[in-house]
Amino acid sequence: MKDKLIFVTGGGSGLGLELVRLAWGRGYRVMCTGRRGVQDLPDDFPDIPYLCCDLSSQQGAQQAADWALGQSHGRIDCALLNAAAGYFRPLVAETATSLSDVLALNLEANMILAHRLAPALDGGTLALIGSVARKGAAGMPVYASSKGALDGFGRALAEEWRGRACVRVLHPGPIATGMAARAGRKPDFADRLFLSPRAMAHCVLDAALARKGADRQVISYGRVLFHPARLLRRGAT
Amino acid sequence: MGRVLITGGSSGLGKALVDLCVERGLAPVCVLDIDPAPDAGDGKLDWVFHDMADQEAAPWAALSETLQKKGPFDLVILNAGINATGRFEGIPLATHLSVARVNLLGPLRLVHMLLHAGLLAPGGRLVLISSLSVFTGYPGAASYAASKDGLASLARALRKPLRKSGNISVQLVCPGPMDTPHAARHAPEGARADRRIDPARVARQILELPHGRFVLLPGPGAKLAAVAGALFPQIMMRIMGKVLFARLK
Repeated sequence: MKDKLIFVTGGGSGLGLELVRLAWGRGYRVMCTGRRGVQDLPDDFPDIPYLCCDLSSQQGAQQAADWALGQSHGRIDCALLNAAAGYFRPLVAETATSLSDVLALNLEANMILAHRLAPALDGGTLALIGSVARKGAAGMPVYASSKGALDGFGRALAEEWRGRACVRVLHPGPIATGMAARAGRKPDFADRLFLSPRAMAHCVLDAALARKGADRQVISYGRVLFHPARLLRRGAT
Repeated sequence: MGRVLITGGSSGLGKALVDLCVERGLAPVCVLDIDPAPDAGDGKLDWVFHDMADQEAAPWAALSETLQKKGPFDLVILNAGINATGRFEGIPLATHLSVARVNLLGPLRLVHMLLHAGLLAPGGRLVLISSLSVFTGYPGAASYAASKDGLASLARALRKPLRKSGNISVQLVCPGPMDTPHAARHAPEGARADRRIDPARVARQILELPHGRFVLLPGPGAKLAAVAGALFPQIMMRIMGKVLFARLK
């Protein structure tokens, strides 16, 4: 059971980093990709297979898929496709390049990975990390659109693969990963209400690995604040 | 009403929209399409060649220049779309990517460009043609479902900012299967064409949609399916799997 292999994209920082640390800490075999070079990873980064690549290019996504297939010898128990980017600004302030880059990373890379990893995921789980912004966050229209698209993609695939592999779209609420600040959002009082990445990682990993659960799940304040690990003060902050 | 811009006007709903606009004296209608104009020269259509999936900067810059001479537009209908049906892994990756680019990245770039160039007239309407799949799910067309859900999220995100900045009404249309070549190509075997809604009827409802309305579900069938899908998403998805995806294979 514990020799399960978990593949994480975007594991170099933010929620992905916490997912990697947590899954590794729980004793799973973990491998991940990230944009950061190996030298830029945190000092306590676990000693696991790591591929530095840019998933927003088609070649990068295909390279990541082939690397994951090679590392896993053709069997992945759980793929957590988490890598994403977005900007907190109106549509008119975007550039043509930023539009295609965000869509390429948040949607197309996940389609490429799902397409290539499909045989390895037989009997396993494909977890797509969405966002509550998919409901139409007016401050980040392109990000909202890409996450909405990921939701539609995941729901369709969940039904197609039912009985063969499990597909879940998990939509986290706002997390204090620094993404909001990087995305151009001015810090305000609401930032104090953002959830901790570690607590969120507990919930996301549980939701991804649970035997039963809905195809689409929102993981926000209710689930994170009342997560058992948090209530027992074990590990979670 | 002033100038109209429609993408994908050569067949299906787009053609019905163009015909209706011409009939109602809204000509010349500006049409963006990758197909050549059907009957050039009668002056009612202002046909512009454009590929919504184009990744290069130059064609979009050229399009912006062309449209600046024709705009601003009071009614913009983003209708162009393609589909790919079958098992997700059974369809080549390149096809999935072009579905995502024609149906979602293209409209994103076009709206971005229109906003940038100030081509959406204040008080006008921006209509996004999405799909009933937003409410029901669409197994057997994963990339199409993705693109249409992406359009719906975009419409929701743009609604408030555009209303505030120029009283532009963003509207989301979610049609079910229509009696078009598109539906005939992608319907499962044995599906009855006479149950599909007439695109001319959908076009009429779109043109007559009041400024303040956000979602249009054309016809009673689409309304019923959308309500069922919103209330019981998981059950609706299983039904779609049984009646649609299982029959596609």
